[in-house]
Amino acid sequence: MGDHVSAIDHGDDRQVVDTLCDTVDRWAARHIDARAIDRAGRIPPQVLAALAELGLFGLPIPGSYGGGGLPLAAVCRVISTLARHDRSVATTVGLHVGLGTRPLVAFGGEALCARHLPLLAAGKRIAAFAATESEAGSDLSAIRTTATRTDAERIRIEGEKIYVTNGALASVFTVVAATPSMGGASRGHSLILVERDDRGVAIGNEEHKLGLRGSSTTPLRLDGVEVGTDRVIGLAGAGMRHLRHVLSWGRTVMAAGCVGAAETALSFAVEHVTTRRQFGRPLAQLEVVREQIATMAALTRAMSAIVAQTAAVEEDHEALAVRSTSAKVFCSEAAWEVADLAVQLHGGAGFIEETGLPLVLRDARITRIFEGANDVLCAHLGAMELTSPPARRIVGDPDADHLAARIGERRRELLDLHGIRILSRQRLLHGLGRLVVLREACDAAAAGARTDGTPEARRLAAAFIDLAGRRAAAFLEDPPPIAQTIAISDAAYARPRP
Amino acid sequence: MQTQTDPTLDARVVAVIAQLTAVKAGDIKPRDRLREDLGMDSVSSMELISLLAEELDLDVDVEEALQVTTVDGAIELVKRRVAARAPRACAVK
Repeated sequence: MGDHVSAIDHGDDRQVVDTLCDTVDRWAARHIDARAIDRAGRIPPQVLAALAELGLFGLPIPGSYGGGGLPLAAVCRVISTLARHDRSVATTVGLHVGLGTRPLVAFGGEALCARHLPLLAAGKRIAAFAATESEAGSDLSAIRTTATRTDAERIRIEGEKIYVTNGALASVFTVVAATPSMGGASRGHSLILVERDDRGVAIGNEEHKLGLRGSSTTPLRLDGVEVGTDRVIGLAGAGMRHLRHVLSWGRTVMAAGCVGAAETALSFAVEHVTTRRQFGRPLAQLEVVREQIATMAALTRAMSAIVAQTAAVEEDHEALAVRSTSAKVFCSEAAWEVADLAVQLHGGAGFIEETGLPLVLRDARITRIFEGANDVLCAHLGAMELTSPPARRIVGDPDADHLAARIGERRRELLDLHGIRILSRQRLLHGLGRLVVLREACDAAAAGARTDGTPEARRLAAAFIDLAGRRAAAFLEDPPPIAQTIAISDAAYARPRP
Repeated sequence: MQTQTDPTLDARVVAVIAQLTAVKAGDIKPRDRLREDLGMDSVSSMELISLLAEELDLDVDVEEALQVTTVDGAIELVKRRVAARAPRACAVK
């Protein structure tokens, strides 16, 4: 474990995390070449070794296993710092400390943790997480990978996973499998630790991707892999329950990566508009440019706030589930919006790879899809808002409180009109979920500004809450009639395809 | 028309649960708890009642649906609502 992270257990945490982030920032500026990583399609071994030396693979792993024992908030700040320099590196480390090792840290038995966590904390082994299958993407209940008992102490796993982040690097995989013969009364899924060297494990070829090309993504085949029942992480049959917590963690870490990407895109844009002259003056002085820069700055600050507010409820699993989902949706979309605006402000130069900006845009795209496609997550957030709305405190910002009150009215209106059947009205659930995301982002922005206390922070929060209010208006009313939508989409489906 | 003793209602409830979980219909028992035994969460257990209400044209209060915690409970609720609907259906005729 690197000295930088082991120091966390002592002294003032906040100060130590600040120092760590500064160290990571300076190191990354010197040693990470994002465009070279993108071109090569891999992270150089010496960069991975240095990340391990810095202690970054052990950030949240308990000190008793050689990790830094950092809280989620600190992990997020480090991942955000890495993402400012390269998203592939941030994703490799973020997946390892999030979905990769969180199952073991949160639910693993002592023997399993003792065997694996020290090597994972030291970065001598990399962790991956394998849930997605060809027929089970957003719908994880469709998972077909199955683990069955062969005797009292052994289980046999059959199945094939796809899009496994860190696949080619990992030695340890947390596999989500149906376990119908295990768990006693519980007959859902289980999380099972599989090692790369287990007989029957096969790692497929690297996928060729739009972005995050330096981050490994492979299939994982499990062809009759026999392991001991002691490889089950947590309770057998309780995999989906465990998964909800693990995903909450992973989504928060991923949202933190989006913050770093947005900061980089904003920085690119500011550099360009303050140096590029058109119409006899710097672009920065044009009103429309100022407006776009202000939007980017307000979004980026709100992203940072929602990640901080989400990480702050790490111990409250229910609150973390709602906030992390909102943070993931909000930050992935805001990062895309900020990167897209940065490209636009660059004019033609924004389309040229040499500027580095297209890479930021390409890398940002996947976050709206992986760890839960945003539209599916929004429908889920809408359903949660209807069945078990999270308790909300008045945040003291009149506009944020007003928006929250209007969303509450919309919720009651939907329930009165549709009753329980609202749970089957996807478009309405999705719209309500979109409102939840905006409400959570506004609340976080308001709270962040209050904590910060500076006039600039208050201005940024006010600008964001105003923007969110305008965007919310579209979802506070019913969408166009479904019959019209069905007719148009049916016509599109029926059209001959080239 | 389905009645309170219609066994197809039981099968229909079980089929929808199987659709929402990874558990095969044949492995689902009446006393199974939706969350602890079948891995459902608060949303999917409400979605179950919603899908049944939609399919069987039932009026179900959200509060009533929230009380359902077992397979048996879901079957009972559906039967109760089907029975409550019956006189209205006759009156329409």
